Amino acid sequence: MSLPGLVLSLADNKQLLGMRYAEWATSAPSLEADIAAAAMGLDDIGHSRVLYGCLEALGEDPRDPARGAGDYLNVAYLDQPWTEWSQFVAANAVLDTAFALAIQACVEGGSEVLQARLRKMLQEERYHYLHGRSWLRQGVDRGPVEAAWREAVEWFGPPDGDIATLHRDGSLSMGPGELAAGLEERLEMAAPAVTPDWANWDPLRRRTRPGAIDRHTFEMLRGLEDRKFAPTG
Amino acid sequence: MSTFNRVHEHVREYEVFARKARAEPLHLVGSVVAPDNDLAMAYARATYDEERWIEMAIVPKEALIQLWAPGDSA
Repeated sequence: MSLPGLVLSLADNKQLLGMRYAEWATSAPSLEADIAAAAMGLDDIGHSRVLYGCLEALGEDPRDPARGAGDYLNVAYLDQPWTEWSQFVAANAVLDTAFALAIQACVEGGSEVLQARLRKMLQEERYHYLHGRSWLRQGVDRGPVEAAWREAVEWFGPPDGDIATLHRDGSLSMGPGELAAGLEERLEMAAPAVTPDWANWDPLRRRTRPGAIDRHTFEMLRGLEDRKFAPTG
Repeated sequence: MSTFNRVHEHVREYEVFARKARAEPLHLVGSVVAPDNDLAMAYARATYDEERWIEMAIVPKEALIQLWAPGDSA
């Protein structure tokens, strides 16, 4: 995968993460958590717009205008709305931090476009991981945390994969090993035992599980909901 | 969705201070309730970030040393 391909994957994931956060803006365990969910949702949707905006400047926009719900480059964890607060916390702590580390690797890498445009995101991301890490410490179900961690490691890719290549050529300041170590360091916990099935890894979508975004979310992404409620004639 | 407690078992109240310009002093803009400093920072930023503050800080309310309160004599 090229650097623009990786940036597109980051953008798709950030967009979906933002939308999933926003779904919890009236359902979190406290009013403060409701507000934080809304704020982080807005942040991540904003981050996705900046990331999409980098593609042209990087010289390649890999998006197919007709791409379907199964063509988004998001991790499987974001395919469907979350039904448990533990899922929110795991995504917030593990996946959001994993993507923030990748953004940091871009900012510290060789692309001037990414250095200039992504730096501010890291300031906002700090509050996402403080939020996620604190809720993680309060104690949540292990299942979602392990699932999110597995998908983060899969998203980083195999040890000799494309991110490793982008690290070697200087485009990224970190490779898969450094990103995985950074995740443990930020969350101050050891990674669960994760052994990705690299034989079934989709190098474009950076995941091993097939699947697609739920229809409702996909229609929102494509603006079809707006069209449905627009006046006719 | 599953049921859960809407509050943490142990929380602290934090006062949130901010200012918009260097020439201004920090002033109280509100408060948040959280179980630890990390979450209090995240909540303060999420709740009070609608204005363009140049500085924001939080203080556990219990750290304030009160000289007197409404109804007390100075």
